[in-house]
This record gives sequence, C-alpha cells and structure tokens, in this order.
Amino acid sequence: MYLSLLVEVYSAMKWRLPQLFQRTESALWLNSELLVVDLELTGLDPNSHEIVSIAWVLIKNGRIELQQVQHKLNSDVKQLAQSPVYHGIGEHQLAQSGERLEQIIRALGAELASKSLVCHNASLDWGFLQKYMNQYGVNVTPVHIIDTLKIEKNKLLRSQTYLAQDQLTLAACRRRYGLPTYQNHNALSDALATAELLLAQVSHLDRQGVIKLRNLVC
Amino acid sequence: MTHSQSVSPVVDVLDFVTKQLPFSELPPSCAHFYVNHAKVVYITSLNQSELLASTDKYLYLIRSGVFDLVNTVGEVVTRLGEGDYFGYPSLLTGEEIKNHLEVQTSGLVFLLPQQDFDFLRREYQKFEQHFVRAHKKRLLSSHYQERGRAWPEHKVSALMGKSAVTIEPHARIVDAAKLMQKAGVSSVIVTEKGELSGIITDRDLRNRVLAAELAPSASVAQIMTPNPKFIFENNRAFSALHLMLKHNIHHLPVLNEERVPLGMVTSTDLLRQQKHDPVQLIGQIYKAHSHQEVIRLAMEIPALLRGFSNTVEDISFIGTLLSGLTDALMSRLTELFIQQAGEPPCSFCWICFGSQAREEQTLHSDQDNGLVFSNAILDHQRDYFARLGAYVSGHLISCGIKACPGGIMASNAQCRGTVDEWVLRYEQWVHTPTPQAMLNSKIFFDRRFIYGEQALYQSLNTGLRALQQQELFFAAMATDISTNSVPIGLFMQFKLEQDKHKHRYLDLKIRGVAIVNDLVRLYALKCGINKANTQMRLAALKDFGVLSKEDIYNLQDCWRFLTQLRFKIQIEAPDLPPNCINPEHLSSLERHQLKEAFHLIKQAQQACVFKFARGSL
Repeated sequence: MYLSLLVEVYSAMKWRLPQLFQRTESALWLNSELLVVDLELTGLDPNSHEIVSIAWVLIKNGRIELQQVQHKLNSDVKQLAQSPVYHGIGEHQLAQSGERLEQIIRALGAELASKSLVCHNASLDWGFLQKYMNQYGVNVTPVHIIDTLKIEKNKLLRSQTYLAQDQLTLAACRRRYGLPTYQNHNALSDALATAELLLAQVSHLDRQGVIKLRNLVC
Repeated sequence: MTHSQSVSPVVDVLDFVTKQLPFSELPPSCAHFYVNHAKVVYITSLNQSELLASTDKYLYLIRSGVFDLVNTVGEVVTRLGEGDYFGYPSLLTGEEIKNHLEVQTSGLVFLLPQQDFDFLRREYQKFEQHFVRAHKKRLLSSHYQERGRAWPEHKVSALMGKSAVTIEPHARIVDAAKLMQKAGVSSVIVTEKGELSGIITDRDLRNRVLAAELAPSASVAQIMTPNPKFIFENNRAFSALHLMLKHNIHHLPVLNEERVPLGMVTSTDLLRQQKHDPVQLIGQIYKAHSHQEVIRLAMEIPALLRGFSNTVEDISFIGTLLSGLTDALMSRLTELFIQQAGEPPCSFCWICFGSQAREEQTLHSDQDNGLVFSNAILDHQRDYFARLGAYVSGHLISCGIKACPGGIMASNAQCRGTVDEWVLRYEQWVHTPTPQAMLNSKIFFDRRFIYGEQALYQSLNTGLRALQQQELFFAAMATDISTNSVPIGLFMQFKLEQDKHKHRYLDLKIRGVAIVNDLVRLYALKCGINKANTQMRLAALKDFGVLSKEDIYNLQDCWRFLTQLRFKIQIEAPDLPPNCINPEHLSSLERHQLKEAFHLIKQAQQACVFKFARGSL
C-alpha cells in the first residue's frame, strides 16, 4: 500500500527529479541553453487527440537564436476535425510538407538533450510529448521544465487574489510586458512568442547575472 | 519541400523586418536572410550591461521599447524606438562603440552579427548605402550639438588649483604668512575643527596688519574675514564669478557637500579660463587701446585655435571664428586710425572677399579686403583712405595675416574706390570674361561687409544686381567650373596627383571645396542672393527653383564633409601640401564617403554646365 503510494508519487514527480538532484549546481540563466517548444493539437487530451505541428526555438545565453528555429508538420495526422479553425493547417498542407511524427519526435529529442524545456502551459505540451517519446522509445529528460504560464500566474497571485481565465493566455501575458502583438498563430509564431515572453519575465526579475534556471521552475 | 538548410522564418518577424528600411526597398531574400541570422534579446535597464557589453559587434534593430542613445559626455544623441537601428557606426568603422543606451521602456531588440551584416553590405548596394548615409547623418547631427562646453558651465572643482591651505584661528599671523609663502598662495582658509570659519588674503596682511601696525604675533582670528562667502565644488564657474562680482571679492573657499574646505578659487583662476575663450578674445580686441595691443592679442589666436579645436566637434566652425577674429582686428584698427588721423572726410566702409567673406579662413589665408567710399568724395580726400588702407593692411600683416600675393588689399589703389568705381570694375569682368576676369570674379563675388557705413555696401549691391544677369557671363563661369575636374575616375576610383617627392595625394580644397563654392556662387549670383558663405547661400537657394531640394542637401553634405576632412588633415598630416590628403590614410568609411562626395560634385558640375553653358560648349 505504501509502496503503491510511493510509486504514484514517484511517477508524478518523475520529470522533476533531475532538478531535485541537481539543485546545488543549477546553471545560471545567462549561461544556459533552453528549447522553447509549442505544439498545435487537434484537442487537449493526449490519449484521444493528435499533434498537428511542432515548432521549437533555441535560447542561448539569454538570446533567441532565429537561425535555429524549426517548424515541423505531422503528416501522420488522422483526424483534424475542427482544429484547423485554431491552427489553420489543412490536410493538404500536412500531406505535402509534413514529416512522419516519429522523425519529428526524434529530431526534437536530439535537440532537447542537455537543455531545458520551455512551454506556455507546459503540462499540456509535455504530456503529449511524453506520450510519443515513450511510444518511439526516445529517452530524453530535459534539465528543467519551465512554464511561462506558471511564472506569470505566480507573479500575478503575489499582487492579486483572483485571476480571470483570460489573464494567462500567451497574448495577454505578452501585452503586460508591452511585447508586440503577433497576427499569426502557428506553432512557430507561438514558440517565438513564448520565448520572448520568457525573456521579458526574466528581465523583470532582479539581478540578472545571478538568476539560476531553477529559480524559474515553479 | 527542401531539407532543413533553408529554415522557414518566423512570419511575424519577417513581416516586421520587411516593412523597415532598407529591407522594404530590397528583394525579399534580403529580409529573409536577416531573419534567419538574427538573435532576439529583451533589454531592460537591469540586463543591458550583460546583453550589450559583448565583445562581438552587432547591428541592433529595435522591435519594441524606447531607448536613448547617450554619448560619452552624457548627452542624449537621439531617442530610439520601434524600427530604429543602432550599433552600425562601430560596424562600419571598426571602432569601439562610443555611445551607450539608456533604457526608457524595456523591449525586444534584434541583433545581427557583424559577419552577417557584412554579407548584406556586400550583396546589396542599397543596404550598404542606407547605413553609410545614416552614419554620415549621425556624424553630422552630432557635430551640430554644441559639445565644447563654454567655461562658465564648468564645475568649480575643475578650476580650483591646489588643495586647501588651512590654518587654525589661534595661530599667529606670522605663521599664516609663512604658510602662505611656503604654499605659494595669496590666501589661506581658517578652519576650526575642520570647518570653515574665515579667510585671510594678502590684502588683509597689508591692510589689517601692516597698515594697522598690528603685531605679527597676534592671532589669525583678529584679522581674518569671519564667515566668508563660499561656494560648493559642484557649482558652476559662472556662479563663482557672479558671487565675486556681486560682493567685490577675489577669493572663494570651495567646500564639498559635507562642508569640508577643499581649496580656493580666485578671480585669477576664472580670468585664466576666459583667456582661452575666443569670444572673450574678440571682446578684448574690440576694447584694445593701441595697435600694439591689437597685435599682442592677435598673437594669441594660433594657440587659442589649437586649444579650441580640441573642444569643438564641428571644426569647420574654426573658419567662421577666424573670420570673426579678422573682422574684429580690422574694425578695431580702423577705429584706432580714426582716433589718430581724425574723422573720415566722407562715408566709407570696409568689405572683404574670398575666404574671409565665405567665413572659411584658415591660419594660412592671406588678406582679401577693400575700401568703398561715397561717390561724393573729392580728389584730395582720397589720401585719407590710402593712409587708412595702408595702416590696416600693414598692421594685419603684423597680426599674422599675410599680404595678398595678388594685391587684393585696401593698401592697393585698385582695391579702393567709390561705389561707382567698384561697379565699373565688376562690369569689366562680367562683360569681358577673360581667364583673369574669371579668376577675379571668383574672389570678388564672394564679398561681405565688415565695418563702416552699411548703406554704401547696400548701394554697391544694388549697382551690381543688374550687372550680374548676363547669360554670357554665367556661361563663361560654368565653362570655367567644368575645366576643374573632380579627382574620380569612371569606375569610382580616385585619381591621385603626385608632388616632387612622389607623395600621392588628393587636393580637397581645389578639387573639392572650391568646386562646390564655385557652383554655389554661380547659382547664388543667378538668383541675386547677397550672401558669401556657401552654406548660407545653399540655405537661401531653397526658395528658388534652380536647384532641387535634394541637390541642395547633397551639396550641403558634401561641403560639410570635405571641410571637416580638410580641417582634420590640417591638424593631423603636416607633411603633405596644405589641404591635401592621401586616401590610403583614411578609414574605409571615409574613403567611401569621399568617393560619394566627389561623385555628387561631378553630377552637380555636369548639371551646371548643362544649365548655363549649353550654347557655348
């Protein structure tokens, strides 16, 4: 009984373990590499919905490297359903310029090794990624997982008690930092938008030079 | 779809970059390249030192936020916002970044590494031109800000000589005198427990000790001026001067914020500052009591200019300044002559020509001046002006302004005359445009009033106005201008001249500045503009249709650039002939700008010939 509880706790915390062990030597923000990932999905449930596209953007030494961006469409998608309303990607486009999901997940896995993962609402994206990484036997654990949504939520909760639902959307968060409004909503635009948001969030913390990555994990 | 090498750029960034100059005027591939090679940072006042103080150089493009570009002396050069670039001067010149940023509103900034910037420069000429022009503009605009602070704005601490010489109030007067002798000062600060309580000056020792027959063994407290006026180290020199004048005192103790005495500032310290101020020198010239004093003051000019050229950014201002000083010398010498020789028999005025009139004088410039007197003059009265001309010209030579080899000086009868006689001289040059007449026109049509009866100068101008509208004369001038070729070849390479020591050089004056001056003079005469200074003429030409706005701006830029370069080399490279330069010694940016300037002059030259000399060529 205790054992099963322990297993549950372990599995719940699995992805946070590396950071628990590395607590003493977390890298400085300015010296680290982070991969900002965004997924376009057909729905919110990893078990019944699919990944339409994945994009990632590299942050190295506090700078977003536009040379290193990737935007991949999944040619394996079976059921787009109503999702094109959100991401605007049609079946034709997927068939034409898409890649096999396994190929995409392996490429992402290779990029993610020894880096930290950044998402806006990480539990959703990481849930999907974990499912497929397991499926394809890609065994990569990010150094840290950083969630710009949670950073923003904690920041807001320090100054107000009640949060409206739409205060934490990517666009709303960006507006608070005076970041430009993006017209496009593909995975790549959103990944860059998330990366810029993280830069802005970090910049508003004190003493840039000594911020460690684990300070950003909530 | 091709494989990953060509990365799909982020559409939003591409949209933004494509809208910015110079990308908006370049093929999409250029913006594409930019987006695929840029980095993004978010700059706040807290992190800018970490993110910008990198040893790598970048072209910065602002996506959001507001930043002030601040120069080394803390003045805001310009405010930058969305779509503005910075960092390119250092990328173009290879020099260190001089300005720094002050963040007003935090925001996103794109960084393009030097190697990618250089790639775009090579690939796209318009890209290159955009930043070279922007840099030129930045340089020019920074020259117009008055940078060399006048001395009244200096802080008192900068003028204060030695550290504080202090004594306790109970000390003997004789000890105070010995202390002053040892320190070589004319005053001492009396302090009690480190705080200012009084001062003693040389004058106090005379008036309150010797004259009052007080024993030298008496205490300092008996003769000091208690609770003296003082000034803080951060106050301006002007405040110190004001305080001294107001209370008729010559010594001011200088204190820091904690009221600890730091030293003394004296009226002599302030006077020493004034001496280095050209404006003060002009003032002193106007007050000089004898021609000896005028000459003595004139002797200070070269040293003063050398010091001054370090503090002014726009060194072409030195030309204006030297002309101003020469004007002052001539005016004062004239007044001194009138004091000796009596009032003039009729109204007269001094005029000047050439570089003095254009306010382009250098230390090597020679005299170009003349006297105009009333048409009503009687023959026997002319002798007065002959003597005036000889007196002023002679003393100007003693002042260091050489005699004109061509004899264009009021000591020469050819350069004195009534209004009608002057008009007649001009008429000959205009009607019979011989080579000598053309040469004279170039000198005499740049003229300026200096001293005397201004109405005479006006009537001279009126007399010349009708005369100047001679098509044949303009055609001759245009032809003459076209014979002086710009030192640039068909493929934009420099055509160098060679002196007898085999030094290869370009003459910036004859082959650059002079051509611009000639062109602008011709257009100004055509439009009847009574100004001599080239920049003023260009500004005035904006109201006439003879030159497009763009042509005027281009000529203004060229003139400024060449003049600036010319003054710079006068200071830096003395081994070549005056006004000459070896382009090898220029930075690549300067070489580029120089070619561009020559190219623009060539175009203006061709346009001028086409406009004025169509028939005669």
